[in-house]
Amino acid sequence: MAFEDGNAQVSAGRLQVLLNKDPWRRNDPTVLGPLLERRFIFVGGKGGVGKSTTASALALAAAGRGRKCLLVSTDPAHSLGDLFGRRIGPRRRKLADTLWGLELEGDRLAEAYIDRVRDNLREVTPPSLYPEIKRQMDMARLAPGAHEAALMDALAGLMGSETEDFDLVVFDTAPSGHTLRLLSLPDIMAAWTDGMLRTREKTGKIEEAARSLGEPGGGQDKGGPVSRLGPGKTARIREILEERQRKFRRAGRLLRDPGASAFILVLTPEKLPIREGAAACEALRKAGIPVEALVVNRLLPPSVREEFFLRRREQESARLEEIEGTFTRLPRAYLPLQESDISGVKALLEAGRFLLGPIDNVRHIPCFEY
Amino acid sequence: MKFTYRFRRFLGRASYWLREYYVSPYRQETARSLRREEDLFMLLVYSEALGIPNPVSYYTLELQPILYESFHEWHLRMGMPKSPLEGFKCC
Repeated sequence: MAFEDGNAQVSAGRLQVLLNKDPWRRNDPTVLGPLLERRFIFVGGKGGVGKSTTASALALAAAGRGRKCLLVSTDPAHSLGDLFGRRIGPRRRKLADTLWGLELEGDRLAEAYIDRVRDNLREVTPPSLYPEIKRQMDMARLAPGAHEAALMDALAGLMGSETEDFDLVVFDTAPSGHTLRLLSLPDIMAAWTDGMLRTREKTGKIEEAARSLGEPGGGQDKGGPVSRLGPGKTARIREILEERQRKFRRAGRLLRDPGASAFILVLTPEKLPIREGAAACEALRKAGIPVEALVVNRLLPPSVREEFFLRRREQESARLEEIEGTFTRLPRAYLPLQESDISGVKALLEAGRFLLGPIDNVRHIPCFEY
Repeated sequence: MKFTYRFRRFLGRASYWLREYYVSPYRQETARSLRREEDLFMLLVYSEALGIPNPVSYYTLELQPILYESFHEWHLRMGMPKSPLEGFKCC
């Protein structure tokens, strides 16, 4: 960010970067801490920047503050299990005192849904058509977007009554592009179901008008005005569409409600994660979902002395300035590169303490049975 | 007695035919627009299978069992003598 009057204006954050060699030691506790009070936290970013680590660390920290917390992974390449050192899978699994984990699998969800439709279809079709139905359903299963649609459905469900008994749900989302699509789906869906419901409504009105005109001669109608679907089926279709619409609308509303949801973007001080992060930020803003905080992950520690790492450090400070310029006003927290990959509850708690700033270090040392 | 009865019957029939005379064109029109709306709805539900991208086809899949019985009539009326869905032959 070049200012007209040169060095006269330097933002506080930039100053921090310039003066402080290890900014994670001075993470502002008011950046991420208050977000833990929301109902939903979405953690996004490019693949491999540490979304799952951040999401897990935050969920664990929230649980440590006594919030009943559910950690959900929507990334097809699940890593929560590895982070916590245990299998998690598509059913809620207790990970710590007040923390549960869940790994959603689009493929499996889509399969279960399509099987349900197939069973319903079989009820209304003659058995000779069963092989045809099977073929049709197999195609639906493999259709592009099927598992994404299933994920969206599950996500909308998790933002509703399914998680009423939790204080906080942390979503570890799939890489940025995927997440954006996932977040824009409620609107597309709602628009579509709206359209469908309108044609249904119109049909209802015409039907009413037709009834007032009475049945044609003798009461026996030949392709007469009464809907071929009949009132029972029309009502059932309405019900299904309206239920979907309600579900997606509510999810969309909650996503945009800053009192309910927060979106946290994770990136590393590297070219592509910054660029992708900036694009995601912009797209989310356009969708009415502002990114509220940035987590800059994997900063090189000050202890590096080797020429190779010192060069990388130079590059890193250039990237940190780039981040400063790109995400000017966005509050951020930093996380250092660790000796070994962060894994296990202890390391995650440690990461959480870093993220939430020094105040949390002193005031709160969570203690779990695990 | 007999006359009043016949007269009443005449009036009844006359009012029926008069009503039919005025009402039937509208009835036909409403029937047609009803069919049009329903056909549009069917098209929305089955669009993906016909190659028209539909972002919610996954969610409307569950409407197919309900619409199944109308499907055959629909594709006939749409000018498709055979089921347009590959792998879904109703006739």
